[in-house]
Amino acid sequence: MKINPPQRALQFLRWFCREDYLEEIEGDLIEVFEIEVQQSSKRAKWKFAWSVIKYFRPEFIKSFKHKEYNAYGMYKSYFKIGWRNLAKNKGYSLINIGGLAIGLAACMLIGLYVHHELSYDQFNEKADRIYRADMEIKFGDNHMNIAVTNPTFGETALSDFAQIEQTTRLRFYGGFLVKKGDVNIREGNVAWADSTLFDVFTLPVIAGNPKTALTEPNSIVLTESVARKYFDKTDVVGQTLTINNTETRKITAVIKDIPSNAHFHFTSFIPNIEDKSASQDIWAGYQNWNTYLLLKPGVDPNTMTTELNRMLDRHLEPDLKKFVNKSLAEFNNQGDFFKVSLTKLTDIHLHSDKPGELYANGNMEYIYIFSVIAVFILFIAIINFMNLATARSANRAREVGVRKVMGSLRHNLIHQFLTESFLTCLFAMLLSVGITYLSLPLFNELTGKSFDFSFLGSGSVIFLMIGLTLVVGLLSGSYPAFYLSAFQPVAVLRGSKGYSKKSVFRNTLVAFQFSASILLIAGTLIVFLQMEYIRSKDLGYSRAQKLIINNIDQLGQQLEPFKNNLTQVAGVEGLSVTGFLPVNFNRSVNAFFPSPTMDINTAISIQSWIVDENYLPTMDMKVVAGRNFHKGKADTLSIILNEAAAKFLGWGDVLEHKLYRLTEKETSPIAEYNVIGIVKDFHFSSLREQVKPLAFLYGEDRGGLTVKVNSTDMASVINNIEAQWKSISPGFPFEYSFMDQDFENLYKSERQIGNLITIFASLSIFISCLGLFGLATYVTEQRTKEIGIRKVLGASVAGITTLLSKDFLKIVLIAIVIATPVAYYLTYQWLQGFVYRISLQWWVFVGAGLIALGIALFTISFQAIKAALANPVKSLRSE
Amino acid sequence: MTQQSLGEFEELVLLMVAALHDEAYGVAILEGLEEKLKKKVNISAVHVALKRIEDKGFVKSRFGGITEDRGGRRKKFYVITAVGKRMLDAQYELRNSIYKQIPKISFG
Repeated sequence: MKINPPQRALQFLRWFCREDYLEEIEGDLIEVFEIEVQQSSKRAKWKFAWSVIKYFRPEFIKSFKHKEYNAYGMYKSYFKIGWRNLAKNKGYSLINIGGLAIGLAACMLIGLYVHHELSYDQFNEKADRIYRADMEIKFGDNHMNIAVTNPTFGETALSDFAQIEQTTRLRFYGGFLVKKGDVNIREGNVAWADSTLFDVFTLPVIAGNPKTALTEPNSIVLTESVARKYFDKTDVVGQTLTINNTETRKITAVIKDIPSNAHFHFTSFIPNIEDKSASQDIWAGYQNWNTYLLLKPGVDPNTMTTELNRMLDRHLEPDLKKFVNKSLAEFNNQGDFFKVSLTKLTDIHLHSDKPGELYANGNMEYIYIFSVIAVFILFIAIINFMNLATARSANRAREVGVRKVMGSLRHNLIHQFLTESFLTCLFAMLLSVGITYLSLPLFNELTGKSFDFSFLGSGSVIFLMIGLTLVVGLLSGSYPAFYLSAFQPVAVLRGSKGYSKKSVFRNTLVAFQFSASILLIAGTLIVFLQMEYIRSKDLGYSRAQKLIINNIDQLGQQLEPFKNNLTQVAGVEGLSVTGFLPVNFNRSVNAFFPSPTMDINTAISIQSWIVDENYLPTMDMKVVAGRNFHKGKADTLSIILNEAAAKFLGWGDVLEHKLYRLTEKETSPIAEYNVIGIVKDFHFSSLREQVKPLAFLYGEDRGGLTVKVNSTDMASVINNIEAQWKSISPGFPFEYSFMDQDFENLYKSERQIGNLITIFASLSIFISCLGLFGLATYVTEQRTKEIGIRKVLGASVAGITTLLSKDFLKIVLIAIVIATPVAYYLTYQWLQGFVYRISLQWWVFVGAGLIALGIALFTISFQAIKAALANPVKSLRSE
Repeated sequence: MTQQSLGEFEELVLLMVAALHDEAYGVAILEGLEEKLKKKVNISAVHVALKRIEDKGFVKSRFGGITEDRGGRRKKFYVITAVGKRMLDAQYELRNSIYKQIPKISFG
């Protein structure tokens, strides 16, 4: 029996001993061992180990320096070889570089988007100390979380607590018309603001004094672009603007445009002091103001919240006595409460979505979704690279063998392959910058943001890109580098299987790629279906062919003539004057009581919309019981409820009943309403929410005019209406919108996200297919001869195509099995955010799988059929 | 190059390389030495000496062919160089001349 020398000792020797001595020493050691082992194997082993240890001395230990001797030359060679390899295999290089570039570009765009979303309000110098006071109110059956407080909350807190440095309030004013020459232009983003606005927020003032800018009535602060719009310059402090054709306002300051990553996008501010209600000392109502508190450095917001709640309770007490005749304790014992909480300024955009937000905010969920998609896309591109590199290893194996025989060490080979992958990544990165540049306008359109290319100028971005290139290069290059450099030269040069045809690793990667793609396809389908569902859902009213005309309040006495003229216009079927529409945000909530005792426990808060008698027919809403309003005085104390309100009240026959509410009139503080009708539920807020109780009151609200049109020629109807408008109110802009467009705007963010996900999902599938295409090309190339022989022996084209596609399809099937449950779980979670949603259908997931399968089949069969159709004479002769 | 030194064990190894002529490699030298010295020598000592005298230019080496034993490792054969031979001659001369100066003393 042959006894081997101790391997552990031999390994140790190989580790430390210099290579030029190693063979001699090993040989001699083994020879001595073989002699000694005949006497005693144990002794021989010990002696062997002891001898090895004796070699551990400077003369025999490897030099750590000898690697450096001609590194420059070697790297020069690596680059040259790398370049030649890229140039030689143009097809593969194109797939690799193109795939990576698309992946990187997608990542860059997503990165821009995510970074922008995360950067909201960070530009404020004191951002970390600014908090918004939010209210949570439980009042009978009403429970609400709102982003607003009563008027005096901030002011009182500032005087009560030394921890608070400053406070300021904002309230949406809406829009007004500004006169420029003879025309009036609508400014839509106007806010009421306190004079302390500039102490809290960082809004750089270009002209004027920020301290006094909002202290006088009839003053106005403009942003730079608004100032330029009316005066073509920014140095306009002291000039006046004519507002709504009647009042004048003095410009007291011009500020820089508010950054796009602020949670409000106002273009002008007017002082809160003009608004009497802004100084009313009311605590149990009038929650209308977004109140911001600037805490002093080091103040803990949690302790502050507790203190603020105490303050709130103290001030609530007298109000509760006055309005509901109860002490705070009694009120709380009923389970009712007012609570205040602080929301960090920088959390508002992504983490807050309450009634009373100044503008629609973003959603953290989408930030996660996009980040995951970016990582997926990048991984898919990296996997392509790895797969193609290892698949092509057969072609490179010989090169590796020859290199090793010529004395190349393993680390040289690793360096060489890594250099190639870095080179590929570098080209991909450069290309991706180009792609990003070209696709930015489209991306801006899709996201509704305005990114420009200047982000590339910043040092950190360049640093990040270099870092990304290196990481991607290392990730995608490391596997091929270690895999290829491990080949045994003897095995590969003899042409035997130094490499395996079927790589489990490679197949796993392809399976992962397709799992990711299927996940994205299924996700996209679900998002798309949900959007379609919302679009096509019967909302309880019709939004087709509805024209909404703005600025009605400017018509004054001319409204009636205008209405009369409109009914003469051909195509106009009906019209209704009111600003309360299912699609916009003109909303008003009132507390109603079912009995004249006004017991607070029975109060319900109902959306109360003031409409005229034409509203229901104009909107195509259905009266399910009772009747519509009649024209005239008779119905001023009538009320029409929606089904949700009727159900909420829980009466058997609602029409018999009356509702009561408080009015501002001293003489008759309680108004009594007769319920005259019930209207079918219709959706007036996002489909993420349940339909809430709503009541129509009869009256005049000039927030807008809705025209119901029935005409195939919308353009001429609009022209005629505009002509009527011009003849009646010269100087005011004719502004209109379509109700269906306004509705689309309600779901704008969902639609944008849907579009983005669709695009990025398609990209990921495209990149996957690129990789699959490369693999298929390679595999068919490898089997050219086999196919030739099969054809000669009578194999059919279909048979060969199946043969070549089978292996890949198996992987795709496995990917389907992996991806489906994950996709099901994730889409299920997403849909939970909607009250009105589609149910998850099995066919969506089967469909996603089939799509992936189909695309994969298409990609592979392209190559497979090409190979199967090839003339066997050619393939067999190709040596 | 000035006077090169040669240690005692190095000299023995060099002598053995010269004696074995074209057949001198690690184990052969080891066995030759053990036989002459009548004691066990560690192969590592031989290698150390061989590397040193090679550095000094007294021997040169070449690899032999692959053989079945020694785990397929090639032997490294050492041949004495002209410098080495001269060194040996000088040593021999030196010792001889000193030896000759020893008075004829009989130790009974």
